[in-house]
Amino acid sequence: MNKFIATLLSLAFLTLPTYGIEMAPIPEVEAIETEEVVTEEVKELPYNYESTYKVPIKLGIVEPITTKGETLYEGQTLQFKVLQDTYCRRKTFLKKGTIVNAKIETLISSGMNGFPAEIILGNFEIPGTKPSQLVDTYTKKGQNRCYIVYPIKWALTIIPFVGSLTNFIKGGHARIKAKDEIVIYYYPDWK
Amino acid sequence: MKKIITFLVLLLCTTPVFAATTSSDITKETEIQTRIDSVAVKLLNNNKITKRIIFAYDKRAKKKALSTDKALTKRQIIIYDGLYQHIQTDDELAAMMAREIATAMKSYDGSFGGWIDSAQVALGSKKFETVSDKRAVDYLVNAGYNPLAVIIFINKTCPQKRHDTFSRHNLTSKRLARVYEYITFKYPQYLENNEYINNEYYQNFLLTSVENRKKLEKKIRTKSTKDVDYE
Repeated sequence: MNKFIATLLSLAFLTLPTYGIEMAPIPEVEAIETEEVVTEEVKELPYNYESTYKVPIKLGIVEPITTKGETLYEGQTLQFKVLQDTYCRRKTFLKKGTIVNAKIETLISSGMNGFPAEIILGNFEIPGTKPSQLVDTYTKKGQNRCYIVYPIKWALTIIPFVGSLTNFIKGGHARIKAKDEIVIYYYPDWK
Repeated sequence: MKKIITFLVLLLCTTPVFAATTSSDITKETEIQTRIDSVAVKLLNNNKITKRIIFAYDKRAKKKALSTDKALTKRQIIIYDGLYQHIQTDDELAAMMAREIATAMKSYDGSFGGWIDSAQVALGSKKFETVSDKRAVDYLVNAGYNPLAVIIFINKTCPQKRHDTFSRHNLTSKRLARVYEYITFKYPQYLENNEYINNEYYQNFLLTSVENRKKLEKKIRTKSTKDVDYE
Protein backbone atom coordinates (compact mmCIF):
# COMPACT_ATOMS: atom_id res chain seq x y z
CA MET A 1 0.00 0.00 0.00
CA ASN A 2 2.89 2.29 0.87
CA LYS A 3 4.45 1.52 -2.49
CA PHE A 4 1.19 2.38 -4.22
CA ILE A 5 0.93 5.74 -2.39
CA ALA A 6 4.61 6.42 -3.10
CA THR A 7 4.05 5.74 -6.80
CA LEU A 8 1.02 8.02 -6.92
CA LEU A 9 2.92 10.79 -5.14
CA SER A 10 5.91 10.42 -7.41
CA LEU A 11 3.65 10.50 -10.45
CA ALA A 12 1.92 13.63 -9.19
CA PHE A 13 5.28 15.23 -8.47
CA LEU A 14 6.74 14.36 -11.83
CA THR A 15 3.78 15.68 -13.76
CA LEU A 16 3.85 19.04 -11.93
CA PRO A 17 6.26 20.64 -14.44
CA THR A 18 3.85 19.68 -17.20
CA TYR A 19 1.08 21.60 -15.53
CA GLY A 20 3.55 24.42 -15.13
CA ILE A 21 4.15 24.52 -18.87
CA GLU A 22 0.47 24.39 -19.58
CA MET A 23 -0.31 27.12 -17.04
CA ALA A 24 2.41 29.46 -18.24
CA PRO A 25 0.45 31.22 -21.01
CA ILE A 26 -2.46 32.12 -18.70
CA PRO A 27 -1.08 35.53 -17.59
CA GLU A 28 -0.55 36.41 -21.26
CA VAL A 29 -4.17 35.57 -21.99
CA GLU A 30 -5.32 37.82 -19.15
CA ALA A 31 -3.07 40.58 -20.43
CA ILE A 32 -4.62 40.30 -23.88
CA GLU A 33 -8.11 40.50 -22.45
CA THR A 34 -7.37 43.79 -20.71
CA GLU A 35 -5.84 45.36 -23.83
CA GLU A 36 -7.98 47.40 -26.17
CA VAL A 37 -9.40 45.38 -29.02
CA VAL A 38 -7.72 46.57 -32.21
CA THR A 39 -9.78 45.76 -35.26
CA GLU A 40 -7.71 45.00 -38.34
CA GLU A 41 -8.73 47.02 -41.36
CA VAL A 42 -9.96 44.84 -44.20
CA LYS A 43 -8.03 45.73 -47.34
CA GLU A 44 -10.08 46.38 -50.43
CA LEU A 45 -9.26 43.83 -53.09
CA PRO A 46 -8.37 44.97 -56.60
CA TYR A 47 -11.15 42.75 -57.97
CA ASN A 48 -14.78 41.95 -57.17
CA TYR A 49 -16.33 39.04 -59.02
CA GLU A 50 -19.78 39.37 -57.44
CA SER A 51 -21.68 40.32 -60.61
CA THR A 52 -22.72 37.53 -62.98
CA TYR A 53 -23.83 39.85 -65.80
CA LYS A 54 -21.69 39.21 -68.86
CA VAL A 55 -21.68 40.29 -72.47
CA PRO A 56 -20.44 37.79 -75.08
CA ILE A 57 -18.28 39.38 -77.76
CA LYS A 58 -18.05 37.40 -80.99
CA LEU A 59 -14.86 37.86 -82.97
CA GLY A 60 -13.38 36.51 -86.19
CA ILE A 61 -9.75 36.63 -87.26
CA VAL A 62 -8.78 39.02 -90.07
CA GLU A 63 -5.88 36.92 -91.45
CA PRO A 64 -6.14 33.13 -90.91
CA ILE A 65 -3.21 31.62 -89.03
CA THR A 66 -1.68 28.16 -88.58
CA THR A 67 1.09 26.64 -86.50
CA LYS A 68 2.42 24.95 -89.67
CA GLY A 69 5.65 26.46 -90.95
CA GLU A 70 6.86 28.26 -87.81
CA THR A 71 5.57 31.67 -88.92
CA LEU A 72 3.91 32.40 -85.58
CA TYR A 73 5.68 33.46 -82.42
CA GLU A 74 4.70 34.14 -78.85
CA GLY A 75 3.79 37.76 -78.19
CA GLN A 76 2.73 38.28 -81.82
CA THR A 77 -0.15 40.73 -82.27
CA LEU A 78 -3.12 39.50 -84.30
CA GLN A 79 -6.13 41.39 -85.60
CA PHE A 80 -9.74 40.34 -85.13
CA LYS A 81 -12.99 41.97 -86.16
CA VAL A 82 -16.25 42.08 -84.25
CA LEU A 83 -18.72 39.78 -86.05
CA GLN A 84 -21.96 41.41 -84.95
CA ASP A 85 -23.21 44.48 -83.11
CA THR A 86 -22.75 43.93 -79.39
CA TYR A 87 -25.08 45.41 -76.79
CA CYS A 88 -24.47 46.08 -73.13
CA ARG A 89 -27.64 46.89 -71.17
CA ARG A 90 -29.56 47.72 -74.35
CA LYS A 91 -26.95 50.19 -75.56
CA THR A 92 -24.65 49.56 -78.51
CA PHE A 93 -21.31 48.71 -77.06
CA LEU A 94 -19.35 47.49 -80.08
CA LYS A 95 -20.16 47.98 -83.74
CA LYS A 96 -19.87 45.14 -86.25
CA GLY A 97 -16.50 45.28 -88.02
CA THR A 98 -14.60 47.00 -85.19
CA ILE A 99 -10.97 45.87 -85.23
CA VAL A 100 -9.63 44.33 -82.03
CA ASN A 101 -6.02 43.43 -81.31
CA ALA A 102 -4.96 40.35 -79.36
CA LYS A 103 -1.71 38.56 -78.64
CA ILE A 104 -0.48 35.02 -78.94
CA GLU A 105 0.13 34.05 -75.32
CA THR A 106 1.60 30.59 -75.80
CA LEU A 107 2.27 28.28 -78.72
CA ILE A 108 2.44 24.53 -78.27
CA SER A 109 3.85 22.62 -81.21
CA SER A 110 2.38 19.27 -82.23
CA GLY A 111 4.17 16.27 -80.83
CA MET A 112 4.56 12.52 -80.95
CA ASN A 113 1.77 10.16 -79.85
CA GLY A 114 -0.78 12.36 -81.62
CA PHE A 115 -0.35 15.41 -79.39
CA PRO A 116 -2.03 18.32 -81.16
CA ALA A 117 -0.55 21.78 -81.60
CA GLU A 118 -2.20 24.55 -79.63
CA ILE A 119 -2.54 28.32 -79.90
CA ILE A 120 -3.45 30.22 -76.73
CA LEU A 121 -4.66 33.77 -77.33
CA GLY A 122 -5.08 36.52 -74.77
CA ASN A 123 -4.75 40.25 -74.10
CA PHE A 124 -7.74 41.23 -76.26
CA GLU A 125 -7.85 45.02 -76.48
CA ILE A 126 -11.56 45.78 -76.58
CA PRO A 127 -12.31 49.52 -76.77
CA GLY A 128 -14.05 50.83 -73.64
CA THR A 129 -13.08 47.91 -71.41
CA LYS A 130 -10.41 47.20 -68.83
CA PRO A 131 -8.38 43.95 -69.02
CA SER A 132 -9.69 43.02 -65.55
CA GLN A 133 -13.27 42.99 -66.94
CA LEU A 134 -12.55 40.43 -69.63
CA VAL A 135 -12.35 36.66 -69.50
CA ASP A 136 -10.37 36.53 -72.67
CA THR A 137 -8.23 33.44 -72.90
CA TYR A 138 -9.02 31.52 -76.08
CA THR A 139 -7.43 28.21 -76.98
CA LYS A 140 -7.46 26.55 -80.40
CA LYS A 141 -6.17 23.01 -80.75
CA GLY A 142 -5.26 20.94 -83.76
CA GLN A 143 -6.55 17.43 -84.38
CA ASN A 144 -5.95 15.21 -81.38
CA ARG A 145 -4.80 11.93 -82.92
CA CYS A 146 -4.37 10.10 -79.65
CA TYR A 147 -7.82 8.60 -80.19
CA ILE A 148 -6.26 6.65 -83.07
CA VAL A 149 -2.76 6.26 -81.64
CA TYR A 150 -3.57 4.68 -78.27
CA PRO A 151 -5.89 1.90 -79.54
CA ILE A 152 -3.39 0.99 -82.28
CA LYS A 153 -0.53 1.07 -79.79
CA TRP A 154 -2.35 -1.29 -77.41
CA ALA A 155 -3.43 -3.60 -80.23
CA LEU A 156 0.15 -3.88 -81.48
CA THR A 157 1.68 -4.38 -78.04
CA ILE A 158 1.51 -8.16 -78.51
CA ILE A 159 4.23 -7.86 -81.20
CA PRO A 160 7.39 -6.63 -79.44
CA PHE A 161 8.46 -3.05 -80.28
CA VAL A 162 5.85 -2.61 -83.01
CA GLY A 163 3.45 -0.75 -80.70
CA SER A 164 6.15 1.81 -80.05
CA LEU A 165 6.15 2.78 -83.73
CA THR A 166 2.90 4.66 -83.11
CA ASN A 167 4.96 7.12 -81.05
CA PHE A 168 5.98 8.71 -84.34
CA ILE A 169 2.43 9.71 -85.27
CA LYS A 170 2.24 13.46 -84.72
CA GLY A 171 -0.81 15.50 -83.77
CA GLY A 172 -2.52 17.99 -86.07
CA HIS A 173 -1.60 21.63 -86.54
CA ALA A 174 -3.76 24.31 -84.96
CA ARG A 175 -5.49 26.67 -87.35
CA ILE A 176 -7.68 29.69 -86.80
CA LYS A 177 -9.75 30.18 -89.93
CA ALA A 178 -11.64 33.30 -91.00
CA LYS A 179 -14.99 31.58 -90.36
CA ASP A 180 -14.05 30.50 -86.80
CA GLU A 181 -16.12 32.30 -84.18
CA ILE A 182 -14.16 33.32 -81.10
CA VAL A 183 -16.27 34.26 -78.09
CA ILE A 184 -14.82 36.21 -75.19
CA TYR A 185 -16.78 37.59 -72.26
CA TYR A 186 -17.01 41.13 -70.94
CA TYR A 187 -18.17 41.61 -67.33
CA PRO A 188 -19.07 45.34 -67.14
CA ASP A 189 -19.65 45.33 -63.37
CA TRP A 190 -16.25 43.90 -62.48
CA LYS A 191 -13.63 46.38 -61.31
CA MET B 1 6.92 -4.72 -10.29
CA LYS B 2 9.26 -1.86 -9.43
CA LYS B 3 10.66 -1.96 -12.93
CA ILE B 4 7.23 -1.71 -14.46
CA ILE B 5 6.31 1.26 -12.26
CA THR B 6 9.63 2.97 -13.05
CA PHE B 7 9.02 2.40 -16.76
CA LEU B 8 5.51 3.82 -16.52
CA VAL B 9 6.78 6.85 -14.61
CA LEU B 10 9.45 7.45 -17.25
CA LEU B 11 6.85 7.07 -19.97
CA LEU B 12 4.64 9.67 -18.29
CA CYS B 13 7.59 12.04 -18.01
CA THR B 14 8.27 11.86 -21.71
CA THR B 15 4.66 12.40 -22.81
CA PRO B 16 4.62 16.21 -22.31
CA VAL B 17 7.82 16.48 -24.38
CA PHE B 18 6.15 14.77 -27.32
CA ALA B 19 3.08 16.92 -26.85
CA ALA B 20 5.17 20.09 -26.93
CA THR B 21 6.95 18.99 -30.15
CA THR B 22 3.71 18.11 -31.89
CA SER B 23 2.12 21.40 -30.91
CA SER B 24 5.02 23.42 -32.35
CA ASP B 25 4.97 21.29 -35.49
CA ILE B 26 1.28 21.92 -35.96
CA THR B 27 1.77 25.66 -35.52
CA LYS B 28 4.60 25.64 -38.08
CA GLU B 29 2.55 23.60 -40.56
CA THR B 30 -0.43 25.90 -40.11
CA GLU B 31 1.78 28.92 -40.84
CA ILE B 32 3.15 27.29 -43.98
CA GLN B 33 -0.34 26.26 -45.15
CA THR B 34 -1.64 29.80 -44.54
CA ARG B 35 1.23 31.26 -46.57
CA ILE B 36 0.63 28.79 -49.39
CA ASP B 37 -3.13 29.48 -49.47
CA SER B 38 -2.57 33.22 -49.43
CA VAL B 39 -0.21 33.22 -52.42
CA ALA B 40 -2.26 30.58 -54.26
CA VAL B 41 -5.57 32.41 -54.01
CA LYS B 42 -3.87 35.60 -55.23
CA LEU B 43 -2.64 33.70 -58.28
CA LEU B 44 -6.04 32.16 -58.99
CA ASN B 45 -8.08 35.33 -58.53
CA ASN B 46 -5.78 37.69 -60.41
CA ASN B 47 -5.58 35.29 -63.34
CA LYS B 48 -9.37 34.87 -63.34
CA ILE B 49 -9.02 31.09 -63.23
CA THR B 50 -12.60 29.90 -63.28
CA LYS B 51 -11.83 26.30 -62.35
CA ARG B 52 -11.40 24.93 -58.83
CA ILE B 53 -7.88 24.06 -57.68
CA ILE B 54 -6.77 23.51 -54.09
CA PHE B 55 -3.36 23.48 -52.42
CA ALA B 56 -1.99 21.32 -49.61
CA TYR B 57 1.32 21.23 -47.78
CA ASP B 58 2.88 17.81 -47.29
CA LYS B 59 5.66 17.17 -44.78
CA ARG B 60 7.19 14.50 -46.98
CA ALA B 61 10.31 15.47 -48.91
CA LYS B 62 8.95 14.48 -52.32
CA LYS B 63 6.24 12.63 -54.21
CA LYS B 64 6.27 8.84 -53.96
CA ALA B 65 7.64 7.09 -57.02
CA LEU B 66 4.95 5.84 -59.43
CA SER B 67 2.17 7.76 -57.64
CA THR B 68 -0.16 9.81 -59.84
CA ASP B 69 0.11 13.58 -60.05
CA LYS B 70 -2.80 14.89 -57.96
CA ALA B 71 -2.76 18.15 -59.90
CA LEU B 72 -4.08 16.12 -62.85
CA THR B 73 -6.35 13.66 -61.06
CA LYS B 74 -7.89 15.71 -58.24
CA ARG B 75 -6.84 19.26 -59.16
CA GLN B 76 -5.09 19.30 -55.80
CA ILE B 77 -1.61 20.77 -55.79
CA ILE B 78 0.71 19.24 -53.21
CA ILE B 79 3.66 21.31 -52.01
CA TYR B 80 6.24 18.90 -50.65
CA ASP B 81 8.56 19.98 -47.87
CA GLY B 82 11.65 19.08 -49.87
CA LEU B 83 10.81 21.78 -52.41
CA TYR B 84 9.31 24.20 -49.91
CA GLN B 85 12.64 24.36 -48.08
CA HIS B 86 14.16 26.02 -51.16
CA ILE B 87 11.57 28.80 -51.13
CA GLN B 88 12.65 32.14 -49.76
CA THR B 89 10.32 34.76 -51.19
CA ASP B 90 6.63 34.83 -52.08
CA ASP B 91 7.70 35.32 -55.72
CA GLU B 92 9.44 31.95 -55.65
CA LEU B 93 6.51 30.27 -53.91
CA ALA B 94 4.19 31.75 -56.54
CA ALA B 95 6.51 30.46 -59.28
CA MET B 96 6.36 26.94 -57.88
CA MET B 97 2.57 26.97 -57.62
CA ALA B 98 1.95 28.73 -60.93
CA ARG B 99 3.64 25.85 -62.77
CA GLU B 100 1.34 23.39 -61.05
CA ILE B 101 -1.73 25.55 -61.76
CA ALA B 102 -0.86 25.43 -65.46
CA THR B 103 -0.72 21.62 -65.25
CA ALA B 104 -3.99 21.38 -63.32
CA MET B 105 -5.70 23.66 -65.84
CA LYS B 106 -4.81 21.24 -68.64
CA SER B 107 -6.71 18.51 -66.78
CA TYR B 108 -9.94 20.50 -67.22
CA ASP B 109 -9.64 20.61 -71.03
CA GLY B 110 -10.76 18.12 -73.60
CA SER B 111 -12.93 15.03 -73.82
CA PHE B 112 -14.10 12.71 -71.01
CA GLY B 113 -13.88 15.47 -68.40
CA GLY B 114 -10.28 16.23 -69.28
CA TRP B 115 -9.14 12.62 -68.85
CA ILE B 116 -7.54 12.38 -72.31
CA ASP B 117 -5.67 15.67 -71.96
CA SER B 118 -4.48 14.70 -68.48
CA ALA B 119 -3.10 11.44 -69.85
CA GLN B 120 -1.32 13.37 -72.60
CA VAL B 121 0.23 15.77 -70.10
CA ALA B 122 1.40 12.84 -67.99
CA LEU B 123 2.83 10.97 -70.99
CA GLY B 124 4.25 13.96 -72.84
CA SER B 125 5.64 15.68 -69.80
CA LYS B 126 8.66 17.02 -71.72
CA LYS B 127 6.54 19.20 -73.96
CA PHE B 128 4.18 20.33 -71.23
CA GLU B 129 7.06 21.07 -68.89
CA THR B 130 8.00 23.96 -71.18
CA VAL B 131 4.35 25.02 -71.54
CA SER B 132 3.90 25.04 -67.75
CA ASP B 133 7.04 27.14 -67.33
CA LYS B 134 5.76 29.70 -69.83
CA ARG B 135 2.23 29.80 -68.43
CA ALA B 136 3.74 30.22 -64.95
CA VAL B 137 5.48 33.38 -66.18
CA ASP B 138 2.13 34.77 -67.42
CA TYR B 139 0.36 33.86 -64.17
CA LEU B 140 3.04 35.55 -62.09
CA VAL B 141 2.92 38.77 -64.10
CA ASN B 142 -0.90 38.91 -63.91
CA ALA B 143 -0.79 38.42 -60.13
CA GLY B 144 1.83 41.11 -59.59
CA TYR B 145 4.78 38.81 -58.87
CA ASN B 146 8.17 39.05 -60.56
CA PRO B 147 8.41 36.42 -63.36
CA LEU B 148 12.18 36.12 -62.91
CA ALA B 149 11.34 34.09 -59.82
CA VAL B 150 10.50 31.20 -62.17
CA ILE B 151 14.14 31.20 -63.29
CA ILE B 152 15.37 31.33 -59.71
CA PHE B 153 13.04 28.55 -58.58
CA ILE B 154 14.04 26.22 -61.43
CA ASN B 155 17.72 27.08 -61.07
CA LYS B 156 17.62 26.18 -57.37
CA THR B 157 15.57 23.02 -57.50
CA CYS B 158 16.08 21.15 -60.77
CA PRO B 159 19.21 19.07 -61.34
CA GLN B 160 21.15 19.16 -64.60
CA LYS B 161 21.16 15.82 -66.39
CA ARG B 162 23.70 14.85 -69.06
CA HIS B 163 21.21 14.64 -71.94
CA ASP B 164 17.48 14.68 -72.54
CA THR B 165 17.10 12.74 -75.78
CA PHE B 166 15.42 9.73 -74.20
CA SER B 167 14.25 11.45 -71.06
CA ARG B 168 10.73 12.55 -70.15
CA HIS B 169 12.18 15.83 -68.93
CA ASN B 170 14.04 18.65 -70.64
CA LEU B 171 17.54 19.64 -69.67
CA THR B 172 17.21 22.27 -66.95
CA SER B 173 19.52 24.63 -68.85
CA LYS B 174 17.13 24.46 -71.84
CA ARG B 175 14.12 25.17 -69.66
CA LEU B 176 15.85 28.15 -68.08
CA ALA B 177 16.88 29.53 -71.46
CA ARG B 178 13.33 29.20 -72.83
CA VAL B 179 11.86 30.97 -69.81
CA TYR B 180 14.46 33.74 -70.15
CA GLU B 181 13.61 34.09 -73.86
CA TYR B 182 9.89 34.20 -73.06
CA ILE B 183 10.41 36.99 -70.54
CA THR B 184 12.76 38.84 -72.93
CA PHE B 185 10.10 39.01 -75.66
CA LYS B 186 6.89 39.29 -73.63
CA TYR B 187 7.85 41.13 -70.48
CA PRO B 188 11.10 43.00 -71.22
CA GLN B 189 10.30 45.58 -68.53
CA TYR B 190 11.26 43.03 -65.86
CA LEU B 191 14.73 42.75 -67.37
CA GLU B 192 15.14 46.48 -67.92
CA ASN B 193 14.24 47.29 -64.30
CA ASN B 194 15.69 44.10 -62.94
CA GLU B 195 14.97 43.72 -59.22
CA TYR B 196 16.92 40.48 -59.16
CA ILE B 197 20.18 41.86 -60.50
CA ASN B 198 21.72 41.70 -57.01
CA ASN B 199 20.27 38.28 -56.28
CA GLU B 200 23.00 35.65 -56.02
CA TYR B 201 20.83 32.87 -57.46
CA TYR B 202 19.95 35.03 -60.47
CA GLN B 203 23.61 35.88 -60.98
CA ASN B 204 24.37 32.17 -60.85
CA PHE B 205 21.82 31.63 -63.63
CA LEU B 206 23.45 34.40 -65.69
CA LEU B 207 26.85 32.81 -65.16
CA THR B 208 25.71 29.34 -66.22
CA SER B 209 23.67 30.53 -69.20
CA VAL B 210 26.22 32.65 -71.07
CA GLU B 211 26.26 30.41 -74.17
CA ASN B 212 22.47 30.12 -74.35
CA ARG B 213 22.04 33.86 -73.90
CA LYS B 214 24.47 34.43 -76.76
CA LYS B 215 22.21 32.30 -78.97
CA LEU B 216 19.23 34.38 -77.88
CA GLU B 217 21.10 37.62 -78.66
CA LYS B 218 21.76 36.25 -82.16
CA LYS B 219 18.05 35.45 -82.58
CA ILE B 220 17.11 39.00 -81.58
CA ARG B 221 19.78 40.48 -83.88
CA THR B 222 18.67 38.46 -86.89
CA LYS B 223 14.96 38.93 -86.04
CA SER B 224 14.44 35.21 -86.44
CA THR B 225 11.16 33.59 -85.35
CA LYS B 226 12.56 30.06 -85.32
CA ASP B 227 13.10 28.08 -82.13
CA VAL B 228 16.63 28.39 -80.77
CA ASP B 229 18.48 25.13 -80.24
CA TYR B 230 19.58 25.67 -76.65
CA GLU B 231 22.14 23.50 -74.89
